[in-house]
Amino acid sequence: MFDIAPDHAIGLSAGLIALPFALLGLKLRGAGRLVPGTVLGASVLMTVSGAIHLGLVWTHRDETITAALFVMNGVAYIALSQMYTWRWWRPASAALITATLLGYLGYIVLNFDTPDQVAIATKLVELTALGLVLVPVRGVRPWRRLRWSALGVAVPVLTVVTVATLWIDTLARPDARHVHAGAILQQTNDVATPDQVAAAQRLYDQTAAAIAPYRDWRKAWAAGYRPGGSQTMPSTHWMNQRYVDAGYVMDPQHPQGLVYANTKHGPVLLGAMFQMKRIGQFGPDPGGPHTAWHQHENICFTPFGIEFSLMTPTATCPVGSIDISASPMLHVWIVDNPGGRFAVDIDDKVVKKLDQS
Amino acid sequence: MQSLFWLIAGISAVPFALAGEVYMGVLGLLTMLLALATLVLGIGVLWRRRRARALAIALEVVCLAGAALLLILPIGFNGGVVSLMVNVALPITVVVLLRKDSSQAASQESRLAR
Repeated sequence: MFDIAPDHAIGLSAGLIALPFALLGLKLRGAGRLVPGTVLGASVLMTVSGAIHLGLVWTHRDETITAALFVMNGVAYIALSQMYTWRWWRPASAALITATLLGYLGYIVLNFDTPDQVAIATKLVELTALGLVLVPVRGVRPWRRLRWSALGVAVPVLTVVTVATLWIDTLARPDARHVHAGAILQQTNDVATPDQVAAAQRLYDQTAAAIAPYRDWRKAWAAGYRPGGSQTMPSTHWMNQRYVDAGYVMDPQHPQGLVYANTKHGPVLLGAMFQMKRIGQFGPDPGGPHTAWHQHENICFTPFGIEFSLMTPTATCPVGSIDISASPMLHVWIVDNPGGRFAVDIDDKVVKKLDQS
Repeated sequence: MQSLFWLIAGISAVPFALAGEVYMGVLGLLTMLLALATLVLGIGVLWRRRRARALAIALEVVCLAGAALLLILPIGFNGGVVSLMVNVALPITVVVLLRKDSSQAASQESRLAR
């Protein structure tokens, strides 16, 4: 969702190239004297959207129906963007934009495509264009109330539905490297070699032995580990700032973090966490696919209570929180985790079971 | 549009608040209030209230400054197309449009209406 699909990049270029031509075209036609600014804005945005759709035709030429739809959509957008003095321009434009938005959502729901930055940007351009098409102009009486109602209902509903569909689809069907929301996995070989299996076992044994004393959370506290978030959550990462600053790389004696389950008996040690110092710098991977590091991207972080949420597809976070990426990390779970000893997450059921024990 | 983006950001905090992140719940609520305030500002601008126009420009300048700071800091802030559109291009567009003298805009619209 936060990447640009290689076959969509050309669409973005086409849209950006079309923008100055759309503005120049309006200026040359003296459109400012004929129609209000909202209509001019809609015309420019429809030209850009049309160019994006036409730009995507070449990279989708193997998908006949999709390519044909892109051609029809692109041509219709560009034609309508130039017909702003036509009596039925508003209903025709509103219908085209709405049909395009709903058609795209259909494609996403049916798993014919996955949302990326170009697609989301195009949908935002179209939603803005729809708003500009519907907004009534001062002095124009007919349909004024209907248009305000349409603007007040259609644009918010379509925006929320579009964003929600894209987000739900991304969370429900993450790609191979996005193991869960916001976490991207290090690229490794697919099947571990015997040497990698042995190396993973060695790392597990060494780490489990090194952190065994921290089953008593007081010893972890004495060693400099501090809870790094809300303790009302099922589990909390305890971080050792000294080890973070020192930049130890996958050192079982100095893991940057420990993970504790917050149970009614107090903190129960779940495992350790190694963390690299820099964003994008994945650590050594002795166990191949077993010990792939992961990096959390596009998470909304707030210093209030050190809490996290996820950035929306429209790249916004709740006020008081900021979008950050956490440098790569690798967990070693010393409890029986169904996802594996080095899985990105601990299974909720494991934590629940510990709490109930 | 900006009000809607903040509304969605506010709603996005709700699942985390339900999972026990109390502060995120508060921030989500504040974000929804900001979305409402932005909507009211937008209506104020539409009704040509001078104060609404000034407040809207101030809000966009704050948004722009915040986005610029986050883009500069090495914290992994998203610099994708959508982020640049929503956090940079949108505030700039609003400021540019609101900078236009409102009386000029009114005279243009009345001319078109005639």
